[in-house]
Amino acid sequence: MRKITIPILLMLVACTPRIPATFDSVDSVPVIFPDYTDVTIPGNIAPTNFLIEEGADSYITVLESKSAQAVIKGDKVKIPTRKWRKLTAAPEISIRVYGRNNKVWTAYQPFKLTVSDEIDPYVSYRIIPVAVESYEKLSIRQRNLTNYDEKVIFANTMVETNEEGTCINCHHYRNGETDNMMFHVRHFKGGTVLVLDGKLNKVNTKTDSTISAGSYPSWHPTHDYIAFASDRIHQSVHALSHDKLEVLDDNSDIILYDIRNNIVSPIENDTSQFECFPDWASDGKSLFYVSATYQAPSGIPRRDAVFLDRFKFHYNLYSKPFDPDTHTWGASRLLYDAVASDSSVTWPKASPDGRWLLCCISSHGVFPLDQIESELIIFDLKDFSYRYADELNSPFAESFHCWSSNGKWLMFSTRREDGVHTRLYFSHIDENGHFSKPFALPQRDPEFNREFLNAFNIGEFMKEPVKITPWQFASFISSTEATPSRYDSKREK
Amino acid sequence: MTPKEKNNFTGITAKARWILPLTLWVVLSCFSYPFLLKVEERSFFEFDMAWFIEFLDKPSGLLSWLSLFFIQFFHIPWLGALIWILLLTAAAELTRIMFRIPQSCSALAYIPAAILVTYNMSLGYMIYYVNLPGFFLLPTLGYLWVLLTVAVFRKVSNTATVIILSAVWGIAGYYIAGFYGLIGVLTAAVDTAVSQRSRTFRLSALISVIAVTLLSPILFVETTAYYLPSGWTVGLPDYMIRVSLTRIQAPVIAAMLLLVSAPLIQLPKLSFVNKTPSYVQGILLIAIVSLSYTWWYKDPNYMAELKMIHAADNLEWEEAINTFRDISEKSEKDKSWQPTRIMVVLKDLALIKTGQEGDQAFAFDDGCKQQNTICGVSMSMQIGWIMGLHYGIPGLCQRWCYEENMLFGWSNVSYRYNIMTAMVFGNRELTEKYLNKLDHTLFYRKWSREQRALLNDRELLARTAPYDQILPLLCYDDIVTSDLAGLEMFLNRHFNGPSPMESTPLYDRIALLFAMKSKNSTMFWTRFFLYLESNNPKKIDRYYQEAAYLYANNGQKDLLDAFPIDDRVKDTYKSFMQYASKYGKLSLEDARNCFPKHLRETFFYYYYYVNELILF
Repeated sequence: MRKITIPILLMLVACTPRIPATFDSVDSVPVIFPDYTDVTIPGNIAPTNFLIEEGADSYITVLESKSAQAVIKGDKVKIPTRKWRKLTAAPEISIRVYGRNNKVWTAYQPFKLTVSDEIDPYVSYRIIPVAVESYEKLSIRQRNLTNYDEKVIFANTMVETNEEGTCINCHHYRNGETDNMMFHVRHFKGGTVLVLDGKLNKVNTKTDSTISAGSYPSWHPTHDYIAFASDRIHQSVHALSHDKLEVLDDNSDIILYDIRNNIVSPIENDTSQFECFPDWASDGKSLFYVSATYQAPSGIPRRDAVFLDRFKFHYNLYSKPFDPDTHTWGASRLLYDAVASDSSVTWPKASPDGRWLLCCISSHGVFPLDQIESELIIFDLKDFSYRYADELNSPFAESFHCWSSNGKWLMFSTRREDGVHTRLYFSHIDENGHFSKPFALPQRDPEFNREFLNAFNIGEFMKEPVKITPWQFASFISSTEATPSRYDSKREK
Repeated sequence: MTPKEKNNFTGITAKARWILPLTLWVVLSCFSYPFLLKVEERSFFEFDMAWFIEFLDKPSGLLSWLSLFFIQFFHIPWLGALIWILLLTAAAELTRIMFRIPQSCSALAYIPAAILVTYNMSLGYMIYYVNLPGFFLLPTLGYLWVLLTVAVFRKVSNTATVIILSAVWGIAGYYIAGFYGLIGVLTAAVDTAVSQRSRTFRLSALISVIAVTLLSPILFVETTAYYLPSGWTVGLPDYMIRVSLTRIQAPVIAAMLLLVSAPLIQLPKLSFVNKTPSYVQGILLIAIVSLSYTWWYKDPNYMAELKMIHAADNLEWEEAINTFRDISEKSEKDKSWQPTRIMVVLKDLALIKTGQEGDQAFAFDDGCKQQNTICGVSMSMQIGWIMGLHYGIPGLCQRWCYEENMLFGWSNVSYRYNIMTAMVFGNRELTEKYLNKLDHTLFYRKWSREQRALLNDRELLARTAPYDQILPLLCYDDIVTSDLAGLEMFLNRHFNGPSPMESTPLYDRIALLFAMKSKNSTMFWTRFFLYLESNNPKKIDRYYQEAAYLYANNGQKDLLDAFPIDDRVKDTYKSFMQYASKYGKLSLEDARNCFPKHLRETFFYYYYYVNELILF
């Protein structure tokens, strides 16, 4: 026995990288990808594996916290999960990288990871190849944030791809709980797939009196309502701009869907106003939305007119009081006059604690994802003061953000890595509304974001995984016709 | 059968075994090379472990990966053709050996291989719709996998082993080869059933194989996110089209059914087989070859398109022009011949890139021959990225690259155009991302290194082809647009739109050509004077003179003396008008018959007689 044990122990000792005893020092932290230097991370997040890009022959990385130490060899720093759990038990992890060139070790300045509040354990997002018209290979997936497990919720490839093909979008959950969730299916047997208390339903919210089926959903936090935009979307290709696409509505309203009674009623439907992106306040007593004023000129097809006039689309931010018990709406109130500042505010999302409202802001238009200049702007709902969230913004588009259920974390889409492929980043917010340096969704292979040629889109936090299997969704979608919703214009606006 | 007859059989088959593949290799290398190049350009293979692992996600992924590995050698068409033919020959010879096909009818062994060749070579425009990585060699490799499976099962002699083997080999085979894995175990089961082994053994084999065949795809669909019926057909060529797939996949299915039924035929036991006269074998071989070749897609316009597209992809503009010229000259006797619009627009682009458009743009027959295919392919899908990049509309190039990638996966050609577009946009991170991919390829790493050298030097980039002729075209204000109504019409709109505030000489030259193509005299005069101002030519090119002379004679007579017009142009105009007054209005086809070549090669002829073009 001893004969076996000693060599094994010797091998283990030989395999454990040694921290260099002598080394030169440099004043900078190492260049790593993704950039996790000096970020704040949730205590329950998966290991933030990274790649060191200093061009050295070999590397030793030492991760240290009060509770543990890990030493990892190589340019790809893949942190063992058990070790990571011990490391994150302490409030701060210090990471020091040593690089060796010509047998001389160099120590880079250490950087730290601050361990903070826990984050919802799951997120879901769309994975979509970058394209304009095609959608065949689109899927909605759920990712366990505490490890790297990713599963398909539903994919377009699970039904026919030709005449009987579908396109899915707008996945959404009631308060992050998956027993009540929804997503849209377009084209063949299209409709809104609604999971209500764990049971599958499909409804068609397009009525003769609405522009389209509901889109951009916001589930009421306490009552059985979903606010939707009802809009006709068009897209056109830029010839010469870093923005690939211009996406505009040629008409839009916002509607309320009464889930239990399958009734659609108007919230705002002024024909000269293009209302969009409804979002409930955390108490459900008001609805945030954006709206632009536009009167299409006569003599030109409306679709062409909106693209010609695309720079005229400035979306203001509004809120509209609502009493969910009596289904009574109050008068809309302007919160941010984007027209006055020649800008456009979109995608309002209120934090669960009711304190903050985060929006996208750009020079014009309604679709921040495809606008390189799109940035995030934060409003303090106490006094409606606002500021650009510069700590989150990059030279490329920031968009489609989402708050964690405890209101401590923000997830947002950004194209900062290469201008084209959208990635999910996270940031912590403190009590003063300041965000920590954002960091990329951790991946098992740190080079994943470089190699992966599809885009992540519309991240949504979830408290639990979706329990319905992809094949239950597929079978239901293929076999079930959508129940038409009823339109009731008399319900009070 | 006498020994002499036996020798005859052996002689014929032995020679055919070499002559057939050799002939096929020569034909493929010399005449079908543009098609083989297209196959390679629309595929992608990189030496990268993570990329390899991605293929293991899906049944038949490994076979796809292997197929892509071989397809990369089509970059050198004779080498790719040789590899393919070796695989086909192996398929035919192994079929002969494994199913004990007697020498007297060994030509039968070549039937499945001939079907596989026919399937690939009859694709034509369908190649733009294939949605399966490695589609070209996958059926051939799948066929070989089936033979391997039969060989492995024949080694088993006891019941327990056959059950275990069915489960292990069946499931592993399904993951490696998909549809072909299932065909493999089915063929092995049939082979076992007709063998002389015990009844229990045969029954066990059949039951376990059927179980594997049914269960494997169900396991697969439970663990992945693909359409349920595709579980059984994964690995069969798939097409993004709205026509019956079965019809297109039929040859591959036929080849596989032949394999499944091969053990049942038991050729050596058939008495007439051994009595077959030697000439029947010869007839059979000729019939197989002739039938196969009959089904090949041989449209000369298609081949010319492929050659021109390949030339444009590699910036071999003279080659593109020569291809057009060659086919025009060869078709001179066939008065009904017309080029396709793709040929015309590529020829025009090549003339612009070589600065010859002023003297050559109307020197070729024009036309709009429809593609000879059951399912038309839009011009944008074929050359959208070429036009977008080289006409200075990088957004359009990028858009079509991404559409292609979404529908059919990334390819060598889409990586290259994505890289060039990212270079034009000056997006360093994106360029690096794509260059890293090509760095891992066998045949594009050199090109990748060359591009990387330009990444940090914008000035060098501006002096290097193709960017030297693209960057000067980015002088207009950004527009949002769509080419879904037709690429050619889109380009017409683009260059016949408002003049850029600060246009460049190259832009003005192109805009002038598009004004002439659109036959709009007002636009012509605007563009013509801009061209004169920015290019300041020592001598005005022939076709500009012809257009100016024609439009001046038709209304702007005061402009006749505003610039020098060659006497030759005036004489040609006079001669042309005499013909025109003699024939009056004519269809494009009739005009081609009536007008002599030198008058057909004028702007006057284009203006008056090229009128029935359907632009795409």
